[in-house]
Amino acid sequence: MARSWDKAAVVLCMDVGLAMSNSFPDEESPFELAKKVMTMFVQRQVFAENKDEVALVLFGTDGTENALAAGDQYQNITVHRHLMCPDFDLLEDIESKIQPGSQQADLLDALIVCMDLIQEETLGKKFEKRHIEVFTDLSSPFSRDQLDIIIHNLKKSGISLQFFLPFPIGKQGGTGDRGDGSLLSDHHGPSFPPKGITEQQKEGIQMVKKVMMSLEGEDGLEEIYSFSEALRQLCVFKKTERRSMPWSCQLTIGSNLSIKIVAYKSITQEKVKKCWTVVDARTLKKEAIQKETVYCLNDDDETEVSKEDTIQGFRYGSDIIPFSKVDEEQMKYKSEGKCFSVLGFCRSSQVHMKYFMGNQVLKVFAAKDDEAAAVALSSLIHALDELDMVAVVRYVYNEKTNPQVGVAFPLIKDAYECLVYIQLPFMEDLRQYMFPSLKNNRKCTPTEAQLSAVDALIDSMSLVQKDEEEGTIEDLFPTSKIPNPQFQRLFQVGSVNPAENFRVLVRQKKATFEEASHQLINHIEQFLDTNETLYFMKSMDCIKAFREEAIQFSEEQRFNNFLKALRDKVEVKQLNHFWEIVVHDGVTLITKDEAPGSSVTTEEAKKFLAPKENANADSAAAFEEGGDVDDLLELI
Amino acid sequence: MSSNNMSGWESYYKNEGDEEEEQEEGLEAGGDYSYSGRDSLIFLVDASRAMFESQDEDELTPFDMSIQCIRSVYTNKIISSNRDLLAVVFYGTKKDKNSVNFKNIYVLQELDNPGVKRVQELDKFKGQEGKKYFEDQIGHGSDYSLSEVLWVCANLFSDVQFKMSHKRIMLFTNEDDPHGDDSAKASRARTKAGDLRDTGIFLDLMHLKKRGGFDTSLFYRDVIIAENEDIGIHFEESSKLEDLLRKVRAKETRKRVLSRLKLKLNKDVTLTVGIYNMVQKAYRPPPVRLYRETNEPVKTKTRTFNVNTGSLLLPSDTKRSQTYSHRQIVLEKEETEELKRFDEPGFILIGFKPLMMLKKHHYLRHSLFVYPEESLINGSSTLFSALLTKCLEKEVMAVCRYTPRRNSPPCFVALVPQEEELDDQKIQVAPPGFQLVFLPYADDKRKVPFTEKVMANPEQVDKMKAIVQKLRFKYRSDSFENPVLQQHFRNMEALALDLMEPEQAVDLTLPKTEVMDKRLGSLVDEFKELVYPPDYNPEGKVTKRKKDDESYGSKRPKVELSEEELKAHVSKGTLGKLTVPALKEACRMYGLKGGLKKQELLDVLTEHFQKA
Repeated sequence: MARSWDKAAVVLCMDVGLAMSNSFPDEESPFELAKKVMTMFVQRQVFAENKDEVALVLFGTDGTENALAAGDQYQNITVHRHLMCPDFDLLEDIESKIQPGSQQADLLDALIVCMDLIQEETLGKKFEKRHIEVFTDLSSPFSRDQLDIIIHNLKKSGISLQFFLPFPIGKQGGTGDRGDGSLLSDHHGPSFPPKGITEQQKEGIQMVKKVMMSLEGEDGLEEIYSFSEALRQLCVFKKTERRSMPWSCQLTIGSNLSIKIVAYKSITQEKVKKCWTVVDARTLKKEAIQKETVYCLNDDDETEVSKEDTIQGFRYGSDIIPFSKVDEEQMKYKSEGKCFSVLGFCRSSQVHMKYFMGNQVLKVFAAKDDEAAAVALSSLIHALDELDMVAVVRYVYNEKTNPQVGVAFPLIKDAYECLVYIQLPFMEDLRQYMFPSLKNNRKCTPTEAQLSAVDALIDSMSLVQKDEEEGTIEDLFPTSKIPNPQFQRLFQVGSVNPAENFRVLVRQKKATFEEASHQLINHIEQFLDTNETLYFMKSMDCIKAFREEAIQFSEEQRFNNFLKALRDKVEVKQLNHFWEIVVHDGVTLITKDEAPGSSVTTEEAKKFLAPKENANADSAAAFEEGGDVDDLLELI
Repeated sequence: MSSNNMSGWESYYKNEGDEEEEQEEGLEAGGDYSYSGRDSLIFLVDASRAMFESQDEDELTPFDMSIQCIRSVYTNKIISSNRDLLAVVFYGTKKDKNSVNFKNIYVLQELDNPGVKRVQELDKFKGQEGKKYFEDQIGHGSDYSLSEVLWVCANLFSDVQFKMSHKRIMLFTNEDDPHGDDSAKASRARTKAGDLRDTGIFLDLMHLKKRGGFDTSLFYRDVIIAENEDIGIHFEESSKLEDLLRKVRAKETRKRVLSRLKLKLNKDVTLTVGIYNMVQKAYRPPPVRLYRETNEPVKTKTRTFNVNTGSLLLPSDTKRSQTYSHRQIVLEKEETEELKRFDEPGFILIGFKPLMMLKKHHYLRHSLFVYPEESLINGSSTLFSALLTKCLEKEVMAVCRYTPRRNSPPCFVALVPQEEELDDQKIQVAPPGFQLVFLPYADDKRKVPFTEKVMANPEQVDKMKAIVQKLRFKYRSDSFENPVLQQHFRNMEALALDLMEPEQAVDLTLPKTEVMDKRLGSLVDEFKELVYPPDYNPEGKVTKRKKDDESYGSKRPKVELSEEELKAHVSKGTLGKLTVPALKEACRMYGLKGGLKKQELLDVLTEHFQKA
């Protein structure tokens, strides 16, 4: 739900200059990719229905249209759309109105235009966040003169920045966790500069890094993304992130020692906010429907009684005890209000993760702009860290909420340090189940051969890469960087009948064949990933629609490439059942008889569906989840 | 892995394929939620003279321990599962009370729901007075036959009209050789125990401390079900209430599986596991609506109707809708469910990561417990055991994609290996299996605006270390009761028993500031001197803390009852009219250790003044 205190002003700043349209054959241009990323972002904004406002600034345009333009200053920069709520019009603009330009413009000039726009257009309005997202390939020259002033002003006005580039830049390590193993770094792709980039682009990368480092320190580099990263992880956008409300309190140790703190939710399960409303099937209106609850006695006639004739009661063992709301209010437990009080300290090993409960993680910092509090809290954090101990605390959010007992443990990172608070169970919440021992039990003792098979399984399915020299471990599958597929799905509701959508899209030229087919392939992949027959049928519909339209639009090569890639994929993913359906339905490559552009003979097409000899491919590949998500797309 | 390595498993499971297909339906049903029948439990307590003798004065007698333990189970059942049936049977008594008129057997309470009246009845047998009460009302007998005792218990089960899911007898005794001089009786008892076993009644021995030790080999080893051997849990005899309670609790809570699911290691190798909830937030029970006139519960019915026509609507007459930017999206209810569907329920193994990569601060929701389920795929336990052994050895966790139910979106989980742990009483404190730890998606993480890092210097850190060391304690997961729930049930108890005032639950979540301050001594001031500027006020603008303290102080009852008044109350027996805080204050004034319960406070005060 939108909350006014969490409103953001976002400027999408896109390079449409000459070089953005360059691409290798069979690859999408940075221009197209940038549009895609922006589309996804705006889509999500539209569906999130918040009060954020979005502007669109293009640079490298043939014309010039901005408030700062004068003489030869700030040329080829166009404010395409001013700050306002994103809507379907903006989506359509991005989709079709934005055209590649034939000019080049200074990226830093464009940034100044964006900053000016934010300053001017947020004047007198309340925005919690101001943010600029830059999409560029960095191939245009820029003048560094104003760089320091720009950085200064960004900091001063609290504008955050994110960069989206066609290539990954070298990033070193993560945010440098200390508490949980400084050896670890998350996987960011290659840590060397991408090949095939120009001197100008290298200079651009240096500049972008400098800007981000000066704005956010080491963490800033995390805010430079490649287009493909962004497409995979929608949530990279700063804006779609939810911010937490600060909770101010005092951490107390006994009655004489208190430290001013502020806490934020750092992890909590995001759920689909919007729920489905019930509407009348014929009118599709919700107003027509009403629900009512009635009370009735447990007699044969089910005699109805009015709500006023009922009172509240509770079961207490075999007894039911009448207990009015008023009495309850008066007699119930009352907490003495907000608190974060230490009950004691214990060894960290005594508070096992299996006892963690509740639905949130709080990060506890010293109060803002209070150095004394910061030093006091830092003493506690380091004392606990060095002693390998944790605090057990009583936490009460406010006087209306129930008290919790939880653990607070230190978390020390390069950029910040804090206590992390997680709720612990009460005695009543525990279930002490016992289970039969698995040791010394004849019935389930594995043999040596079985043990070594499992041993080999574990080795072959490792999700980390160890660098012996560096002594680091790289996480090849960082789950916490993967977005929840449920949200992705909701943002394409259109997925209920993708085959039909595809047909409409290409026939009405609402999207290029290329785009529509990408979307379709994405759906097919999702369906196949479910590994469910129901979805196999849906996939088949999509494939057939794809094939028909491909012949119609002379895009036979695109379909043939897709089908070949699909066959390989099916093999790797061991979706043999699915391939059987493909074979059964006789869906094969498009032959030259069907479309003149194809080089495939009927003979070859038949052979394509014949079973491969080497059907028993190495099953290990099946588990390389990391790499194959976009394989199909890349092959086209 | 290469398929060669796993071929051992494939052949091992070759025969299970068909069975797996057959079981599929059961799996899809989503486990054991739709569970029917009630658990029933008979507390069978030896009431021979030896049970009332303690070895030294401060110690509880074995009988007293048993009663307190049973009472605790009763009150817990009232809170957690009040549909379950409980009974209390004494044997070795002088009087007898049972449906078949056997001698020396006294059925105190038949199998029924736990309720306030029954708890009160149990309370009469507590402590010294309880002993006297027992001797007056029931008395010790000279003889009994265990076979007859078990017979009576079996009758109690068969008299119950409800469907029972689980029948259990817990036998409390400190006599390890009840029929030592009568081999015929002993043999009949063994036969009867065997009969019970055959009819699905579990018999547990809760053996209590005996001079010279309790020797199970003399008699009970043959009587008590072999089940215990099977699961490798051998209890030691209990000499402390706490130990006894833990044993009883462990036996009394029946494991309920949340769901049974497949864990797919790869295309060919699947095992089945049960998912268990070991931590679950306990809430106050929901209120029930009662008819004002009779206090009988009423039923609620909800119906949907069309406002315009007034006609009732069937589910098929409605659709589901959402509106975005003025565009309405309408789906059938089933379609909205389908939107949530991704995978078949179960686990799909993705791979392994070192245990140290598990981030404590990436907690999402409480973990579950995973244990093999042999009933669906044979050999699951063996494979599970191999996986557990190797994960422990290699210090790795298994990362899986987990779909708990149909129509629920998948999430990533880590299966963290857990080794079995027993305490010195040989009670299992950690079962063998995997902790199922939920991992957050990128969407679940929030960036927080952190406060600028200002590091403390070593001197400041050292001072804080001294403070931390002073306030060290041993955390136990069951150390804290939920004060909200406790108060609710005290209120219920008071209303059920028509007490004047409910007993105030002790709030264990409050910091014991006085003790803490005393332990810390001058350390706090020394620390403050090191970190806070002289004019700094850590309480902020509002001196809230202070205010709180005062109001806390003012809430203390200023009873100031004079000695005369108290004496008058004692002599008239009206002490019970005073509130618990007032009684506590009175105890404090006379330096009496009164315990926490109202009755305990009354007892010490009465005793004090009667002596004086």
